[in-house]
Amino acid sequence: MANSAIDPKGQAPKTPVHGQILLEARGLSKGFPGVWKHLILDHLDFDVRAGEVHTLLGENGAGKTVIANILSGYYGKTDGEIRVKGKLVSFDSPRDGLAHGIAMVHQDLMLVGAFTVAQNVMVGLKAPPFSFRLHQVERKLDELVAHYGLQVDPRARVEDLSAGEQQRVEILKVLFHEPEVLFLDEPTSLLTPHEADQLFVVLRAMADEGKGIVFISHKMREVFAVSDRVTVLKLGKMQGTCHISETTEDELTRRTFGETVPDYMERPAVRSDKLAIKVSNLIPQGLEKKAPKSGFSFTLRQGEILGLAGVAGNGQSELIASITGLASPASGQIIILGEDMTKRSPRAFIEKGVAHIPERRREMGIVEQMFVAENVVLKDYRQTPFSRNTVLNHHEITAHAQDIVARFNALVPDLWDTECRILSGGNIQRLILGRETWRKPPVIIASHPTEGLDAKAIRHTWDLFLELREQGSGILLISEDLDEIMSLSDRIGVMFEGAIVGVVEGQDADRELLGHWMAGTAAQAA
Amino acid sequence: MEMAHLWGILFLSLHAMVPITLAAIGETIEESAGLFNIGLEGILLLGALAGALGAEASGSASIGLLSGMTAGALVGLLFGWIGTTLRGSQLITGVGINLFALGFVALMLTVLGAPGFHSVSREIQVPLIPLGVGSLSPLVPVTIVLAFAVWWLLRRTQLGIWIRAAGDNPGAADVAGLPVNALRLGTAVAAGMLAGLAGAYLSVDWFGAVTKEITAGRGFIALAIVVFSGLNPLLALLGGFIFGLFDGLATWVATYPGIKEIIPWQFVAMAPYIVTLAVVAGGIGRVRFPKGLGVPYLRE
Repeated sequence: MANSAIDPKGQAPKTPVHGQILLEARGLSKGFPGVWKHLILDHLDFDVRAGEVHTLLGENGAGKTVIANILSGYYGKTDGEIRVKGKLVSFDSPRDGLAHGIAMVHQDLMLVGAFTVAQNVMVGLKAPPFSFRLHQVERKLDELVAHYGLQVDPRARVEDLSAGEQQRVEILKVLFHEPEVLFLDEPTSLLTPHEADQLFVVLRAMADEGKGIVFISHKMREVFAVSDRVTVLKLGKMQGTCHISETTEDELTRRTFGETVPDYMERPAVRSDKLAIKVSNLIPQGLEKKAPKSGFSFTLRQGEILGLAGVAGNGQSELIASITGLASPASGQIIILGEDMTKRSPRAFIEKGVAHIPERRREMGIVEQMFVAENVVLKDYRQTPFSRNTVLNHHEITAHAQDIVARFNALVPDLWDTECRILSGGNIQRLILGRETWRKPPVIIASHPTEGLDAKAIRHTWDLFLELREQGSGILLISEDLDEIMSLSDRIGVMFEGAIVGVVEGQDADRELLGHWMAGTAAQAA
Repeated sequence: MEMAHLWGILFLSLHAMVPITLAAIGETIEESAGLFNIGLEGILLLGALAGALGAEASGSASIGLLSGMTAGALVGLLFGWIGTTLRGSQLITGVGINLFALGFVALMLTVLGAPGFHSVSREIQVPLIPLGVGSLSPLVPVTIVLAFAVWWLLRRTQLGIWIRAAGDNPGAADVAGLPVNALRLGTAVAAGMLAGLAGAYLSVDWFGAVTKEITAGRGFIALAIVVFSGLNPLLALLGGFIFGLFDGLATWVATYPGIKEIIPWQFVAMAPYIVTLAVVAGGIGRVRFPKGLGVPYLRE
């Protein structure tokens, strides 16, 4: 099994797919009761053939995940028929899907953290209740790992593994059942570019064995790296299926999103001498052992976007916690808008004008059990007009929340009746973006701000960030998504093992060099 | 001190170990599946009453124990149903069980004509196993075997994997096709049965009576021991024995001529609780609990 990276363009076989149709859906429809009037899926025809990687491409909310969930048995369908190798079937549960050789790797990791890899596989085992086949499972996993080059230790505890490794565990989990059709719902969202390339090698190997692979994505680069065929979805409707060799990136982008995303967003030069953030020799809490003695030192001007790329776990969370007041730094100094904010409280940071778009949005960005309107004023409720003399002004809050929801196109059933818990990640992110930016804050610390958003919403967010930048906000952008960093940043640094490598001008940054910095292999690149 | 005293203390300890350990390993099963039942104390109390009534109605100690288990299972079923299908608050339900049991048992004792105290006659108590150095309740070996059996069930069987998956990540269990709520309900019933058995043991075996204070916080001690054990039934057995040991020592000190005059018995009676607290406090922080503990599961 080769481990070399795939060139993002090309390499997909140019020959048409002639394999047997493994799974076929005709007139597939799905309507959720209540909130949505239109059908989530509107009479779709879709098939998967042996030996192909078939990509489902579309924005968030296009219905990609719903198709996969229905065809793997997790959701029921409203209408239409499903055939497996020509035979009409109906699925009541994921087990039915598995019994027909159809498996799905979900976008969210569905793993039991306390279990080992093998024990996680056992969760889905159809075995007698008092049997215990751990060793058989481990041995079979050893074989699968070797066969597909998946690089996971079946005996490792899952919560000790990196996100990329956990993703591979998810794939192992379904491969264990030897499926013929495998759905992967945005499997690369947690992976570094290199890990994604490795995954594509595995997917290709599985397809070459005669499996049918359905790859769900909204990233154009990946579509061309791995697909044989691609089906474009938009708002639950088919936009057609075609061979990857018959189409181009521009055409697909137009069909999916209606516009193209530039590599570097043009912007007027904004040069302010005023510093938004000045950090000197900062060693955040939790990095005392990992970080170099000198700590972090960097500046962020007002009207500037500083991008910090890097694989998660290299000190990003700790740095952010320090400069938002969530954790007192072990040592060093933080100056925000000219004021020493070292060891001040989170509230002091908020009142100073530091907006924070956190990485774990469900845990840190919102209170899941609270209603939409409450979450929208989570940082402003103390101020007039949202409250007076500690009494909340319901009317003002409603009007404000309505405004934010409308401006950021959040799909929210009701402001005062919908708990944020039930919203999708993308919609939660829209609310957070609205809440954090509506005051045009002088300092914005944004971690993965567009993760889980579709291309249109990403474009809106980028435009918003540039607009805020022009109006004088200093924006610290921390993201694993190199595309985003490169499109937006005036300057780019890379987080690696508790330090910032580089800082280069954004406009002429070299993707390959940044990639090497991210992987810690800069010396080889030089 | 003579050997007989040592044996005496050991037997007292083993007898005191039984109810706490039974309740704790039951709770361990359901907490592994994600249910947190704070109503153990109430189930113990109801089990004690049901055990006494069952034994008296049938004239058989075994039927008494079975009655206690049945009562416990029913309460466990109710708790599990509220905690899963109805997605109610497990905390409130547990508190409700405790309050209900307190009132109900007091009422029933009054109805039985002996407010506060109802003794179970010697003939229908569980017969003890005579050993050379004293007599032991058959529930002592049963408890020890059960602790090992539950450890085996949770750690070394497919069913254990399913139960723990339902507790730690019910979403993952659901995706794998497991009936999360049914699994949880099953563990709630099993836990109720064990707590009910523990209660019946108090009335039909160990004390031979029902009072409304008969449980004396043992349900809560069992909860504390579950925390200390980190959901390991063998550690729960150890915790139960430690409590039992100090309980046994306390009883011995309080009754031994020459010592009981020096140390006030109220002071000694405190010892098992303080030791349990200390042990639990020492144990907390090192254990991890299922991520889904106490949270109803809802597929979105």
